Amino acid sequence: MSFDIMLIVDSIPKMLVGIGLTLHLLLLSTVIGLILAIITLLMRISGRWYLAWPAMTYIYVFRGTPILVQIFIIYYGLPQFDFIRESFAWPVLRAPFGCAVVALSLNAGAYVSEIMRGGVLGVDRGLHEAGKALGLKVHQRFIYITTPIAIRLAIPAYSNDCISMLKATALASTVTLMDMTGVARTIVAQTFAPYEIFIAAAIIYLVLTWVIQRGFGLFERRMSRYVKQ
Amino acid sequence: MSDIVGWLDDYFWGAMVVLRVFGVSLLMAVLFGLIGSAAKLSKSRIAKSIASGYTVVFRGTPELLVLLIFYFGSAVTLTHIAQIVDPEIQFVDIPPFWAGALAIALVVGAYMTETFRGAFLGVDSGQIEAARALGISNFKTFVYVRIPQMWRLALPNFGNHMLSLMKDTALISVIGLEEIVFVAEIATTVTVKPFTMYAIVAVIYLAITTVITLVVSGLEKYSNRHLERAR
Amino acid sequence: MDEGGQQPVILLEGVSKFFGDFQALKDIDMAVKRGERIVVCGPSGSGKSTMIRCINRLEEHDKGRILVNGHELTGDVKDIDAVRREVGMVFQSFNLFPHLTVVENLMLAPRLVRKTAKPEAREIAMRYLERVQIPEQADKFPSQLSGGQQQRVAIARALCMNPEIMLFDEPTSALDPEMISEVLDVMVDLARDGMTMICVTHEMGFARKVADLVVFMDQGEIVEQNPPAEFFENPRNERTKLFLSQILTH
Repeated sequence: MSFDIMLIVDSIPKMLVGIGLTLHLLLLSTVIGLILAIITLLMRISGRWYLAWPAMTYIYVFRGTPILVQIFIIYYGLPQFDFIRESFAWPVLRAPFGCAVVALSLNAGAYVSEIMRGGVLGVDRGLHEAGKALGLKVHQRFIYITTPIAIRLAIPAYSNDCISMLKATALASTVTLMDMTGVARTIVAQTFAPYEIFIAAAIIYLVLTWVIQRGFGLFERRMSRYVKQ
Repeated sequence: MSDIVGWLDDYFWGAMVVLRVFGVSLLMAVLFGLIGSAAKLSKSRIAKSIASGYTVVFRGTPELLVLLIFYFGSAVTLTHIAQIVDPEIQFVDIPPFWAGALAIALVVGAYMTETFRGAFLGVDSGQIEAARALGISNFKTFVYVRIPQMWRLALPNFGNHMLSLMKDTALISVIGLEEIVFVAEIATTVTVKPFTMYAIVAVIYLAITTVITLVVSGLEKYSNRHLERAR
Repeated sequence: MDEGGQQPVILLEGVSKFFGDFQALKDIDMAVKRGERIVVCGPSGSGKSTMIRCINRLEEHDKGRILVNGHELTGDVKDIDAVRREVGMVFQSFNLFPHLTVVENLMLAPRLVRKTAKPEAREIAMRYLERVQIPEQADKFPSQLSGGQQQRVAIARALCMNPEIMLFDEPTSALDPEMISEVLDVMVDLARDGMTMICVTHEMGFARKVADLVVFMDQGEIVEQNPPAEFFENPRNERTKLFLSQILTH
């Protein structure tokens, strides 16, 4: 038994074969998740039960179940139904990539809408009142007062969620996708050197995590110019 | 319907496995979190840097990868050792239960480290000074003043970490633990009803996470009762 | 011109307001004429803030009638919008928009509500900043100003909408003592120009100086209202006397 540092160094470039897919998954599901989150948030704060309830149910189900199970239901489970195999969505849901994106996006949508809600609730009530007293309409208050302040408040939590999303992309390897974790698992199966290969993969994930954290940190600094240091 | 009934006891025992993994790794995670936060708040530079290394690595690496490193890593190591004794042995591994419980506990422990650290720091230092001024010993201050107050601050995040931990248990099926995802896999090969079988898994998880959420919010209410407005 | 002064611009008739079981306002009647300056005082929880917040519908009254400049406040959005356009408000905690600079704070409502063009909105904003004597702070963020300066910006922000009536909800209560006078000076100045004002405040010097009428509230009721000379020299109600003795002995 040996632990080969050189093997770690050598495997990093091989791992980078999968980084494209990892980033592709991350980017797609973050963007779709963000759109879903905004829709869900607006439904939740609409004050109408027939919009708020479906939104709350969606959040409840997706935050309460493991992503792995969600991926399996979508990938293995949905083909059980003929109407899905005959639907327009089938080209997406037939492919493991499509299923992973759908599952990760739905997950992100549920979590991010809660993060946004936290930001919205964090906006001082007095500012709403000032907006009202000045005669601003509901949507004007939301766009010009609530949104910019809520975004700043939500950045730290959103940054953490993006890191969670990065880590969740590794689950795509369980439905045969060759993302970084998928590549690592394949190489381990061939070389049977789990420590070196998996640690090489972990190092790349750590670097990506650092980049995300740093990026949001800078963004937050920019958004917080107006806050007293 | 009859498809499901035949598998209910398998799901039940699978759920028991899930709860056992959860219990064991929750205990470990709390322990790691307490040790980690103590190290981060200590004056020792070495302890501090080990603890930050721990949180950076385990919060930045996918849970699945940590699990695979633990399981396959330990298997390789153990097999090598076993082959020294008996060259005929092909494969030795740590039971997936323990490899899995340890791996997810280390990940969640890293998150708990940060939560506990924040909560300890969140207790107003004036409280500790007040206790000192009253002549209460350091240890008693810790037990009677700091712990009850930090607990309240840590609870909301702690609840979220419990939910993450619960959901992470599903990953252990990947290394062959016979829990409910595993049951669904087997049941699918027999019944060819994958949606039904995985949906049951989702429902079981949803039920458990709902219970956890309710318990935590009950505890939150209890620990915040002194903050309720007098009216 | 003066016959318009006989018609009240603000009229409250039998206004009541409940928060759950708690009755915050009990049957309030009040009439304010154009150009009149009213100071409302009373112990905390007496309903004085609730009353002026009902006037621009930050709170909804449960019973009675409120008329502002001829618009009755019901659920009708049109009336509420009209009233808010004509009524400016200054809050205890300033409520400046923290993410906008001072001048942007002033420009926001004229641009969005009155659809004023940007250069013109800026011109209006600078005019009012000069009026409250801080034009040099125009491009700073609120967090970079002192409390007194922030409150003056808040007054200027309300004035930019060219309101006919100004409501002040304890405008100096959140200020350090040395900053109170700079805000009161601005308010006195406004009063001299004939602005219709309702001020909830405990600044009795201000009340003596500018008020036409001092209103004393306690437990959701108007207990006594009189011109300041009468109010301070010759309070009739026991509760008024007690309140004045508490507030004036220090």
